[in-house]
Amino acid sequence: MSISVTVHDSQKTIEIAIIGSFDFSLFNDFRAAYSDYIGLSHAYIVDMSLVEYLDSAALGMLLSMRNAVGAECVIELKGANEFIKNILMISRFDKRFDIQ
Amino acid sequence: MKLLCVDSELVYREIVTLCAEKENVEVRTASTFQEAMSIFTGWLPDLVVLDVVIQGGSGLDLVRALKALSGSRFVPMIFLTSHSSDATMNKCFKSGADDFIPKPFNEVLFNVRLKTHMRHVELVQEMYRKNKALTYYQTMIEREHEMAHQVLDHIQNRSENNRNWVAITRMSAASFNGDLALVKTRSDGVRLAFVGDFTGHGLPASIGALPVTQAFFDAIDEHISLDELAIRINRMLFSILPDYMFCAAYLILMYPTGELHYWGGGMPNAFIRRNSGKLDQLQSTHMPLGVLPTAEFESDTREDKLNKGDTLVIVSDGVLELKNGQNEMLGAAHSEFLVSSCYGAKSLVQAQQVMEMELSDFRGSSVQLDDITLVALRNTNSH
Repeated sequence: MSISVTVHDSQKTIEIAIIGSFDFSLFNDFRAAYSDYIGLSHAYIVDMSLVEYLDSAALGMLLSMRNAVGAECVIELKGANEFIKNILMISRFDKRFDIQ
Repeated sequence: MKLLCVDSELVYREIVTLCAEKENVEVRTASTFQEAMSIFTGWLPDLVVLDVVIQGGSGLDLVRALKALSGSRFVPMIFLTSHSSDATMNKCFKSGADDFIPKPFNEVLFNVRLKTHMRHVELVQEMYRKNKALTYYQTMIEREHEMAHQVLDHIQNRSENNRNWVAITRMSAASFNGDLALVKTRSDGVRLAFVGDFTGHGLPASIGALPVTQAFFDAIDEHISLDELAIRINRMLFSILPDYMFCAAYLILMYPTGELHYWGGGMPNAFIRRNSGKLDQLQSTHMPLGVLPTAEFESDTREDKLNKGDTLVIVSDGVLELKNGQNEMLGAAHSEFLVSSCYGAKSLVQAQQVMEMELSDFRGSSVQLDDITLVALRNTNSH
């Protein structure tokens, strides 16, 4: 499984870790990873430190998550390598996400 | 599941039938070679149990004949025989048998082997079904891609191309995304360009291209400003596309004086290859089109200028991410070098051809994974 979900009860934070290629093949799994927590949690972390490649479909999946969880929730994109961070910045994801 | 039992002796036909029926297997029996052949052809059993010696022929020949008749169907053939020497067993397997059980009949052994072969048959049938479903979907997707290509190619035909001032190249990958490049001169001589890259692949990507094209050619007729066009396209895509789809793009307005207005969202840096050989870069500063609601959308444009002989080159990320035989990406530095060296040529069309060749040389024999779009605009006026 290239997606794993960890619930940090104390901070009410949901952490979604993605491994390998973040692309269209994860479309359903990625949505399933956060959809159960909509309305229950106010902070999400997407751990991308083990993501090797990210395509534009993955950017779309992140935007879809952004819409689904609601504007009041923070989504942190954590640990992206320089190549991926560059892709995120080209699309100005810093306007909607907390890029760490 | 259906089993054919071929044996000259009634007692074996009965005991095999008894055991197999306990496993809910339907059984038919044959006592001769000919009978076996005709049942096999007419009834299409999933399993065959047979002896080496049969009336009217040899079991070895029968296996060969039945295997040939089964074609692509997997039908396990199990020898049940008292001729249990190693040499016979070897011959049985060589003639195509899948298993060998010695007589006298051992019920436990027979049942275990029968179940194993039944599982095998089920697995193969399941695989066959799934393969058929996959083939169906693959064919469907190929057709959708063909259709999307046709739609995009048709749109592309309305654009100007291969002039001394504009060159557009699209190199389609097998599984193509949604690159779109449009360039057109307005009645007042101002030139408008749209270079975009939709998320997603195939048909979904090309669906967004249709309204964008409409808005683009409306803007040509109406002479609307660049920021107004950006707002219109963004609003349209925001309302039409699902939230996981958007379009990274450059919108460019080039005046006859060479003055350049541009709006960029989600695109890699574009280049201006100065006539002097110097390379400047244009930056895309916004989120892609179709992401932000109109209230939040930023339509501010930037300015630059093409002097005579300067060339604006826009490449899609398919160029930067193009891979060679060693799985290395072309990358920014190499792209800059190629743009600098190729676009010095006097003829823009030639320069573009050289650039295409360089990209194809770099790629070598590796597979092109993404669509490639190259758009070059040059100021050929003497202002």
